[in-house]
Amino acid sequence: MAKRNCVVILSSEDEDGTYNAHSSSSSRSYTKPKSKSRSTSISSRGRKKARAWHSRSHLSKLHEIDLFGDDFNEVFTGSKVSAGTQRSFAEELWVDKYKPHSPEELAVHKKKVEDVKMWFEERLRPSKGVYTNNVLLISGQAGVGKSVCSTTFLIWPLSCTGCATQENLEMLIFGALGFCGLVSKSSLLSMFVLAAIHVIASHLGAIVYGWNTPTPVIWQEHLYNSGTGTQYSSKLDEFESFVERVRKYGLLLTSNTGESKPSIILVIDDLPMTNGKSAFGRLKNCLQLLVNSTRIPTAILLTDYGNADSVDYNARCLEELKLSLESSGACKVAFNPITANTMKKILLRICQMEQCDVTAEYVDLIAKTSGGDIRHAITSLQFFCLKPNLMHSLALFPPATCSHGSLKEESNKPVISDDGYSLHFGRDEALSLFHALGKFLHNKRETGGGTEYDHGFVICERLSRLPSKMDVPEKILCQAHVQPGPVADFLHENVLDFLDDEAIDDAWILSSYLGDADILLAKLRGMLCSYNEAEGILQSAAASIAVRGVLFGNSHPLPSRWHAVRRPKLWQVEKASLYKNEVDRLRIPARKRFSSYHMSIMATEYMPMLKLLGNRACGDYHEPSQKSSRGLEMEDFDFNKMDLDEQSRSISDDDIEDW
Amino acid sequence: MLWVDKHRPKVLDHVMVHTEIAHNLKKLVKEEDCPHLLFYGPSGSGKKTLIMALLRQMFGPSAEKVKVENRTWKVDAGSRSLDLELTTLSSANHIEISPSDAGFQDRYVVQEVIKEMAKNRPIDTKGKKVFKVLVLNDVDKLSREAQHSLRRTMEKYSAYCRLILCCNSSSRVTEAIRSRCLNVRINAPTEEQIVEVLELIGKKEGLQLPPGFAARIAEKSNRNLRRAILSFETCRVQQYPFTSKQEISPMDWEEYISEIASDIMKEQSPKRLFQVRGKLYDLLINCIPPEIILKRLLRELLRKLDAELKHEVCHWAAYYEHRMRLGQKSIFHIEAFVAKFMSIYKSFLIATFG
Repeated sequence: MAKRNCVVILSSEDEDGTYNAHSSSSSRSYTKPKSKSRSTSISSRGRKKARAWHSRSHLSKLHEIDLFGDDFNEVFTGSKVSAGTQRSFAEELWVDKYKPHSPEELAVHKKKVEDVKMWFEERLRPSKGVYTNNVLLISGQAGVGKSVCSTTFLIWPLSCTGCATQENLEMLIFGALGFCGLVSKSSLLSMFVLAAIHVIASHLGAIVYGWNTPTPVIWQEHLYNSGTGTQYSSKLDEFESFVERVRKYGLLLTSNTGESKPSIILVIDDLPMTNGKSAFGRLKNCLQLLVNSTRIPTAILLTDYGNADSVDYNARCLEELKLSLESSGACKVAFNPITANTMKKILLRICQMEQCDVTAEYVDLIAKTSGGDIRHAITSLQFFCLKPNLMHSLALFPPATCSHGSLKEESNKPVISDDGYSLHFGRDEALSLFHALGKFLHNKRETGGGTEYDHGFVICERLSRLPSKMDVPEKILCQAHVQPGPVADFLHENVLDFLDDEAIDDAWILSSYLGDADILLAKLRGMLCSYNEAEGILQSAAASIAVRGVLFGNSHPLPSRWHAVRRPKLWQVEKASLYKNEVDRLRIPARKRFSSYHMSIMATEYMPMLKLLGNRACGDYHEPSQKSSRGLEMEDFDFNKMDLDEQSRSISDDDIEDW
Repeated sequence: MLWVDKHRPKVLDHVMVHTEIAHNLKKLVKEEDCPHLLFYGPSGSGKKTLIMALLRQMFGPSAEKVKVENRTWKVDAGSRSLDLELTTLSSANHIEISPSDAGFQDRYVVQEVIKEMAKNRPIDTKGKKVFKVLVLNDVDKLSREAQHSLRRTMEKYSAYCRLILCCNSSSRVTEAIRSRCLNVRINAPTEEQIVEVLELIGKKEGLQLPPGFAARIAEKSNRNLRRAILSFETCRVQQYPFTSKQEISPMDWEEYISEIASDIMKEQSPKRLFQVRGKLYDLLINCIPPEIILKRLLRELLRKLDAELKHEVCHWAAYYEHRMRLGQKSIFHIEAFVAKFMSIYKSFLIATFG
């Protein structure tokens, strides 16, 4: 009893509201298991609770943790697996089965792996002094191997460096619960995390403590229970008190390990879901405290949901959280989505081990459509192998994403042709805005091959373009989830960088198209409140014209090289001119006494003259703005008041000075 | 106070430039029932001056006692209510607003203000109900919807108030409104008239004007009286006594535009287009209206251009000016014009010089 290695898991299911919100429309491939698992997981919850408690009393029940996996498998196999399938999937999900057991097997980039490894080694080496920052922040989108990587390391470096023997490892994973949300989806996620621990623990011969936080309370449930006197406590409260405990006393369970002090690593896998500013503030404070004062090496895993530039509140919160953690001293490692090549390698390996007969083409396709999410890719592969008849329906579609010509005529065609894949597997990949812009701006086209169209009409040389290498622009726009206005702005800001130096004609053509798009968008002015179908079409048409105009106009695309995509300066200009208008108005109150001038007159006639007149002429001006002895130089005004970012501030200051 | 305001004629009798019109307006007021008025003409021609003098003629010196306030109107627009804020200038008998400042919500402003005015109609000392006058600036910048609602309210409330509309171009005011108003065209003062005014101001200020000096200012002013007076004052500040060779400093933004024009003439490439865009942004930040930028830019370009290209360039400028009014982001269209110009000019250069 003295020396026992224990892995403590503080987790049950993460009610990951944001994840659900983001992906509710995506990952259609899950729909089947999801619908099934909803029923099973609910029924299993009670069971699980009981069992969890049970497992606490019998500390060595390893397999108890696996119950989510069981549920899921149940669902998986319970669903329409055709009898003809030669393999039984009941035993395990491939995601778990082929979980990496050593750092070498990880799909994550070597460099990142090394980073994490270094960090853990440094923190765990007993000889070293006290580190001030004991928090590692691992971020990345879903399924890039954050949990797997960190949990693998919890074991691996220890045994490699020998700084901590396997016997006295304690690990704690906290999957904080959010409240309410779709259960089925998240159970899948947490199953994964749990299974990860499970595998590692068994690898070590460790004992798994299973501690389930109370199941998430749904409001109806709470109402139902309120008669029995159960108090409701939000998951945020629970998380806070947990963090408090960790900060003050270390881990509770260390007491029973006897003489040798075990190395402990705290992994916080999921943060509680917060709703509203105050709750978010609490979470932020609580985490900052943790960063500042914890002595246990702690890894916080954050899942990036989509783009940082998305307007979604939760995504922005997360971004803010990341920044605040970093600023308070946490070390940050960002995991990139797993590259298609790596993914392919792993998938092929799994295929090999499973001896399933999947052609390289399909593996390629799965790897590409998974959007860097390895978990998803493996599940897709399993799903794919599960249903052989799927192959037929798939085979109807050409395996490579078909490239469309840049012809305008084709835009009329509805974009359904290559959506076929996502019905079966692959996630509906969301592109980041910048990715989409990159595609449009770089305008990669097939080389050579001539332009042949089977439309039966001839396009004159001047108007024909080589077929484009990407999907139809509308589809990309759709994936990037952007408003047409910003798209046009971004294209306008950046497109000139991508033009050949001689191609001024191209510049004209595309700027003219951008103008068209602007006119279409301007029709919406003032109608934002009454959104209807027709306006939506107008908007989409505007975006389409902007993008296609840029693609068509740029007839001599430069060979691709690195370009930074800038934020539209137009936005700053609009803000700055509004602000300046205000300032000017305030500065000339004397004018107002007589009659009001339109701002254009102010700007074109009064302001330049006043600048020339300076203070000397306006001695009898008795307005507060004139009191400043610095005169009328525009840069004296406090541009900080403007809610612009640094960059624009410097721009507006400098440029005005140039005048 | 600036000279522009200081020497502004306060009564119709003192008006120097449009004496004929002033005379007619005076007669109108005498006849008690004054129709709705629409003043239109280029900027700096004296529309506002005439309106102010007219108001004084109507209501006496009390019309000059104006107060400036930022007023908020609560507007019920279907399902929701809007709060609109506008600066108003008002005296007991008149209100002056620029409804176009409210952007696309201008139509609500027009209706609301007129309704409210109709509600509290002032009563004069003899207990007789009098008209209130609503002065609307920049009617040509009103949206089409707003102009329509203006037309309706004009008819409905014409018993209670009179409208004085003021704009630069009557062609952007709907036919319906124009036909309901007495149209008064205020043309730009001739250079001789400007010289006359400047000399009078010089006399009032006790200045010695060298011969031809006022004429030079007038020439530079582009027949804009306000501008002429402003630059006259600037010259006074920069150097006095005046010398006949004294430089009359141009507007900084005009200089800047001519700089842009020479940039465009020097090189025609996307890179240069990008630089030009940056400079255009500078102008826009300083609130120079895009229409004026485009117009001025065209002028500067035409000055440097070969005669055979002028027609085509003008055509495209007009084309993009029109599109700019249809659209929202003026920079897109100005830039498209610049790009088109560059493209035309470049092919012209290649054709002529190989």
